[in-house]
Amino acid sequence: MNTRALRRYIDDLLRGRRPKPFRPDDFEAAQIRTAIELQAARQESDAPRPEFLADLHRRLAAQQDSAARPAPKSNATRRNVIVGTSAAAAAAVAAVSIDRALIDSQVAEGGNSEPQELTPSTGRWVRVAASADVTGGVMRPFDVGSVIGFVRRVDGKAEAVSGVCTHQGCRLWFDAPDDRLRCPCHSTSFAPTGLVVTHQLPIAPTPLPTLMVREQGGVIEVFVPAPPNWSA
Amino acid sequence: MPGDGYPDWEAVYQDNATWVYRTIYARVGNRADAEDLTAEVFLAALRPLRLTASVGEVRGYLRATARTVLAAHWRETLGREITSIDDIEQPPESEQAISTAPQRVAGVLGQLPDNYRRILELRFLQGRSIKESAAELGVTVANAKVLQHRALRLAAQVNEEGES
Repeated sequence: MNTRALRRYIDDLLRGRRPKPFRPDDFEAAQIRTAIELQAARQESDAPRPEFLADLHRRLAAQQDSAARPAPKSNATRRNVIVGTSAAAAAAVAAVSIDRALIDSQVAEGGNSEPQELTPSTGRWVRVAASADVTGGVMRPFDVGSVIGFVRRVDGKAEAVSGVCTHQGCRLWFDAPDDRLRCPCHSTSFAPTGLVVTHQLPIAPTPLPTLMVREQGGVIEVFVPAPPNWSA
Repeated sequence: MPGDGYPDWEAVYQDNATWVYRTIYARVGNRADAEDLTAEVFLAALRPLRLTASVGEVRGYLRATARTVLAAHWRETLGREITSIDDIEQPPESEQAISTAPQRVAGVLGQLPDNYRRILELRFLQGRSIKESAAELGVTVANAKVLQHRALRLAAQVNEEGES
C-alpha cells in the first residue's frame, strides 16, 4: 500500500504535471489506469502542441542529417574482434555472419534496417521444437548449428527470431519475467518480436532478424541456410 | 516499388506525428510523458526506416515501436504495465485504434452513484479544481477530496470487472 504516492500520482495527472515513479500494487495500478482513461477522455485534451511538433521536427532533422553522413565502419573489423574469443562466441559468429550477410545485402539495396526476414535462397527446413513445447508466452531457444534462435507462439502461429545480438554477435538469453531477450555483452535487450527495447550503445543496434517458420505434423521447423560446404 | 509510400522522412513525420502522440497520450494521460515518448518513437523509428515501405507498413511499424516504447516506460516508472498498445485489426490512425478511453469511461461512469460520477466528471473530464468542484457539489473541500478518492476506487473496480 502506498496511498500517499498514489494520491500524488493522481494529483499530478489532474494538474497536467509529469507523475512521479513509485511501485503501485494491483489495485493502485487499476486506479492509475482508470485515472489515465478519465484524463484521456477529456474533450480536446489530446492534441499535440504545435511547439512540440516543431521542436521534434528539428531534432529529427538533426538526427537524419548526421545519419546521412557516411560513417566509416567495417563489419569485418567488428567480426574479427569476436572471432577467437570462445567456442560459444564462435558459434554465435557463425550465426551472425549469416544474418549480417543477408542484412548487409539488403542495406546496400535500400538502406533498410527494419526487422528483416531471413530468406536464404538455398537451405533446408530443420526441426527446432515439438509443437506441444511452444505455448503462449514462452520463448523456446534452439540451436541448429548454423542458426541460433527463439521460437514462440503468437495468436496460435509459430514465429522465430534470431538469438544472436545484432551488435557483436553475442548469444541472447530469454528473461521470462521481463519478457525480453537480453544480451550479456552490452546490456542490449530486445522484445520477443525482435525490436530493440533498451541499449547503451552510441548507435541503436538493428532489430533481430525473423526466421521463416512452418509447422506441420506436431513439429515446428525453421528454414536455415545451407552451410558453405553443403551439397545435396 | 508501388507508388503508395512516402517521399521522405519529413512526410512520414507530418502524416503520423499526431496519431502517434494521441495514441500515447490516451495511455499515459499527461502531456510531458506523451511528448517524451512520442519523441522517442520517432527518433528510434525514423533512422532505420525504409522509404520503400508502403504507408500501411510504415504505420504498422510506428505503432509497434510505440508499443515497445510505452512498455519500457511503464517498467521503468511504475515497475508494471499499466496500459498497452494492443495488436488490432483497425488501421493505427483510426479513432478506435488511437483510444477507446471515451467509450470505456462513459460505460464506467454510468455505473457509479450520482455524486461519485459527478466528482469524476468535474475533476477529470472538465478539469475543474477541487475547490470549484466542492462548490459545485455543495460540500467542503475536504469532503470533495474524500469523494474523489472513493469515486476513483469504485470506478477502478468497475473498470477492471468490465475488463475481465
